[in-house]
Amino acid sequence: MEEKDVILEVKNISYFVREKKIIEDISFSLKRGGFYCVIGTNGSGKTTLLKSITNNVELNAGDVKVNGKPIKKYYPKQLAKELSIVWQHNEFLFDFSAFQVVMMGRMPYQKLLQADSEKDLKIVQEAMEKTNTWHLRNRSIKQLSGGELQRIMIARALAQESPLMLLDEPISSLDIRHQFDVMELLRKINRENGTTIFIILHNLSLALKYSDEIITLKDGHLVHFGKTRDIINKENIQNLFNVDAEIIDKDNIIINK
Amino acid sequence: MKDLIWYFVLTLIVLGLVVLGLFWGSVDVSSLDENSIYIIKNIRLPRVIMSLLCGAGLAVCGSAYQSIFQNPLSDPYILGVSSGASLGAAVAIILGLESFFFGIGGFAFLFALATVWIIIKIASVGNRLHTTTLLLAGISINFLIAALIAILMVLNSENMDKIIFWTMGSMSATKFSDLWIVFVFVLIGIIAIRLYARELNAILTGNESARSLGVNVERTKKVILLFSTLMIGIIVAKSGVIGFVGLIVPHIVRILVGSDNRRIIPFSIFGGMIFMLLADILSRVLIAPSELPVGSITALIGSPFFIYLLYNAKKQLNP
Repeated sequence: MEEKDVILEVKNISYFVREKKIIEDISFSLKRGGFYCVIGTNGSGKTTLLKSITNNVELNAGDVKVNGKPIKKYYPKQLAKELSIVWQHNEFLFDFSAFQVVMMGRMPYQKLLQADSEKDLKIVQEAMEKTNTWHLRNRSIKQLSGGELQRIMIARALAQESPLMLLDEPISSLDIRHQFDVMELLRKINRENGTTIFIILHNLSLALKYSDEIITLKDGHLVHFGKTRDIINKENIQNLFNVDAEIIDKDNIIINK
Repeated sequence: MKDLIWYFVLTLIVLGLVVLGLFWGSVDVSSLDENSIYIIKNIRLPRVIMSLLCGAGLAVCGSAYQSIFQNPLSDPYILGVSSGASLGAAVAIILGLESFFFGIGGFAFLFALATVWIIIKIASVGNRLHTTTLLLAGISINFLIAALIAILMVLNSENMDKIIFWTMGSMSATKFSDLWIVFVFVLIGIIAIRLYARELNAILTGNESARSLGVNVERTKKVILLFSTLMIGIIVAKSGVIGFVGLIVPHIVRILVGSDNRRIIPFSIFGGMIFMLLADILSRVLIAPSELPVGSITALIGSPFFIYLLYNAKKQLNP
């Protein structure tokens, strides 16, 4: 893989809380434009991995590079132009309109005291139309359903115009219909905008259906990294999750106990 | 554009109240003789200006605290920061340090800052501040400081009058010479908070969320806490503890214009001025020719309002 094709490079990272190893010696790199999925049991270090590569925790070892430059060297605003994040939990005690929340995605581009420009408005509208949320723009963020809220948060990430979008289990609290909607939306963003998607998922069949490549974690270690179809198989799933699985075809999987 | 019209209307209301504050009081000044002019110029004008400055400063501080603590019930008074400042002022008087380290204002600021630090230490769980713990920490700090001030007063009965002033809040002793320092610090504080308004909005959506938008969350919080606590320290040093302005005004403004701090700050300036002027006028005319401490007027309006907010927030506090 040529260096310019690599958008994110993770090298031998470890993170401990006191003596406990949360993640240890993880390395991988993401190609520009790929659709990556991370799976693993609860407590396997998925969210910590995401926090590590977004500069939200102090690593004990290793380094993370975005576009060949260590993330520590980025100013926060610069980094926000390179990568956007959709977190699993979004709590709003204060009343913003959906539009205002998506407009926050333009913050990395706005100077001190600068008002929202025509360009910002256009980008926000495009992001909201793409995520099918433009009709919700005047609604209070507190009154949106789970699915609507996640689409708004994805629209906000889109408005950041970053080449890399990271998502932490964005669909885990949604029903199956809305899970598909969000995954379809991410596929569309991946294909039409060329955004590299890196998503933590719990649902194996969705991972199988949508991702090009997959990263599996167990007890804080990277177990597999490669083409999704090569990795999702009976033995690996048994090993990772301790369940019995049957792969029906390229999109479907049945889990038995 | 629509906001500009509102600013204009609000300016007119403020000016109207200024005129009312200058001409209405325990002494009839309608004759405009030499004596009346003296009262208007040297007694009422400074306290009217002080009310404008304190009202604006306290209201903007309140909205800044609410953003930083991600909690609509935060305000420097409820969190005990104002009491902390008044303890600093009392200590400075008793130890005779009025001319040491910026005098009473300097001590008020240092004690206020220490109080903020203690409250954050008590209430933080990980890097989150728990709403209930935050309020309880503020209440306990308020108890502790009330007790300390009571002890200081008993032990220093000759200074009791001076100290009582700081615990109740009043504009009556305002001198022209006090106005400049308050003006400068309130102005600097409001400008600093306004410059960070967009960052504060992002922080209202959560620390991690704000960080992913490129906000330096820790630095923003430190800068805003420093500037708003500086404002509180100076305001308390010059006018005593005046509670609830920072709670009521931003809350009403938020209902009217939404949660965007870029709009909350200017509207809170007007709201704070109007609320404070009204409270000061009431404090002078309700039992004229005697006078009530203005802090008791704001507390009489503010406490039921706070109880009402708590009542409504029950579900959020006890999920």
